[in-house]
Amino acid sequence: MKRTIVGFVVSALVLGGLALWALKGRIAGNAQEIVMAGIVLIVVGFAVYLGVSRLRSHLRHEPGEDELSKSVMTKASSLAYYISIYLWLFVMYISDKTTLEAHSLVGAGIAGMAVVFVLCWLGVKMFGMKNE
Amino acid sequence: MNNRIKELRAKEDLSQLHLAQLVGVRRETIVFLEKGKYNPSLRLAHDIAKHFRLPIEEVFRFDDEAG
Repeated sequence: MKRTIVGFVVSALVLGGLALWALKGRIAGNAQEIVMAGIVLIVVGFAVYLGVSRLRSHLRHEPGEDELSKSVMTKASSLAYYISIYLWLFVMYISDKTTLEAHSLVGAGIAGMAVVFVLCWLGVKMFGMKNE
Repeated sequence: MNNRIKELRAKEDLSQLHLAQLVGVRRETIVFLEKGKYNPSLRLAHDIAKHFRLPIEEVFRFDDEAG
C-alpha cells in the first residue's frame, strides 16, 4: 500500500511539474518538446495504471503483487534492457548526423528507454509468458 | 502445459476471485492460468491442486504427455 501511495505522489509531482513548465511559458511548443511531454504523459499514465491496479487488488483483499506480476516485471525489464542496448547504439549512430545537442540526445535516449519498457510490459501482458 | 482449473472451478461453483483469494494470488493470475498464458510455479500448482484435493498431474498436464 505504501508503494502505491508513493507512486501516486510521484506521478502527481511529475504532472504538476509538467503543468508548471507549460503554464510558465517555458515550453516553446516545438515538435521536440511536444514529443517529450507526450512521453512523460505515457510513463506517468503507466505508473498511474499500475497504482490503480494495485489499489483495486487491495480493495478485493488480493495481494498487490504476486508471482505473475513479478514475473511480468522481470521479463519486461530484461527484454527492455536488451532492446535498449540497440536503442543506444542507434543514438550513437545518429549523434554525428544530427544537429541535436548531446544533452537532448541523452534525454531522448532515456525517454526512449522508458517507452521501450512500457511497450515490453504491454507485450508480455498481451502474449503471456509460458517459459517453455 | 494445459490445465483443468476452469473445469474444476465450475464443478465447485467457485469464482476466479475466490480461488485467487484461497491460493493467495491475484485474480488476473487465475485468468492467465486458465487461458494457458502462464505456467505456475511449483508452489502455486501445488496449492491449486491441494485446494481441489487432486494430485498436481491431474490438474496440470504437459501438451506432449500421453493420455
